[in-house]
Amino acid sequence: MANLKDIKRRIHSVESTMQITKAMELVASSKFRHAKERAEAAEPFFHATYKLMAEIAAEDPYFNSQFVHKRTENGAVLLIVIAGDRGLAGGFNSNVLKMAQARIDEVKAQGGNPIVMPIGQKAVDYFARRDVKVLKSYDHVAEHASIYLAMDMAELVLHNYERHASLQSVEMIYTAYVSPLVQETQKIGIIPLDHLAGSHPRGCIVEYEPTAEAVFDQLVPQYVSALIYGGIVESFASEQAARRTAMENATDNAEEMIDNLSLLYNRARQGAITQELTEIVAGASANE
Amino acid sequence: MKTFRLQIITPDKIFYDGDAVQLTARTTEGDVGILAGHTRYAAILKTGALYVYFENGETRTAAVAGGALKVSDEKTTVITTAAEWAEEIDADWAERSRQDALAKIAASQNMPDRQERANLKLQRALNRLRVSGKDPRPVQTPKKK
Repeated sequence: MANLKDIKRRIHSVESTMQITKAMELVASSKFRHAKERAEAAEPFFHATYKLMAEIAAEDPYFNSQFVHKRTENGAVLLIVIAGDRGLAGGFNSNVLKMAQARIDEVKAQGGNPIVMPIGQKAVDYFARRDVKVLKSYDHVAEHASIYLAMDMAELVLHNYERHASLQSVEMIYTAYVSPLVQETQKIGIIPLDHLAGSHPRGCIVEYEPTAEAVFDQLVPQYVSALIYGGIVESFASEQAARRTAMENATDNAEEMIDNLSLLYNRARQGAITQELTEIVAGASANE
Repeated sequence: MKTFRLQIITPDKIFYDGDAVQLTARTTEGDVGILAGHTRYAAILKTGALYVYFENGETRTAAVAGGALKVSDEKTTVITTAAEWAEEIDADWAERSRQDALAKIAASQNMPDRQERANLKLQRALNRLRVSGKDPRPVQTPKKK
């Protein structure tokens, strides 16, 4: 029969763990609500910017911007990797890092040169220990991310793209929010914007001041920062959703464990009582 | 007066979505006025003021931090990284960020990148102060002849 004291101790230990997971679940769900609102609020800006750029690229037959041209293959690839600042969020961080590592290996296999820009403590830590060039690291920025921070990042990215002709593309790996239970790790291309140039001219006449390219190029930093900002706030919402689910499961498991242990404890106690009774009865009958 | 649909979009919200009679904005090429039925048009906005005239005769002024203006057949869209109505601007905060920007400019004499960024920050702060009408610095009124 299991020791009563041992079982009691285990129940206590599981109970205190459950308290923590329950608290984390509540914190995550309150942060999640806020983060989701922020992610949803960021959408119209991105869509409006994207639509305007697509229109410019489509409507002006002489349109030609350096950002829409594909560059030679096998150059450098800049990966913006957005993970969380904290763990205990199920597979959230490892999924992002796994996809990033896969892409890095792929680029290396093609003879290219991968460069990363990690956002979030977990990504920063991961790449600090790996053999890959880091452009710049950002940690603990997601919770209070502002568009100005994203603009700084966009500026840095574009600055590098304009200066280094060998930089073939800029990609972003983040976690898209699908539903409270489903988050998807995704890789999207940021530059070049070749998908914009592919659209067919619709033959509308628009007056551009000063020129179509100037308006378009002016919009590029805004577009990139909107994309990065959207990636950060959406990943943060996904992280909170993932953590809430993970902690909910942990709490459920703890509850189940406590139920089992309580059953075991009661059984052991009952066993002890029965044994004691048997001994008393046996002792009494021996005296007769 | 004929009205048109005006949308002002910022990264954190749709700042304004509704009808307007006229919009006056400062582009890199100069000030433009948009009325209903304007031709299709797109331009770069400078950091400056945006004047929106409503059907009831009311006018509102907003400070915008650069961006783009697009006029299409169905609506006019302003996309900007930051927008505030004049009466909602926190002048104390703008003044603090003006001083912060000045300090940053002074501290980044040899770093053109950082200085450029601080300069933009200064422009945004000055624009907010100007639009709010609460610029605490002495106003240089044009001398009457």
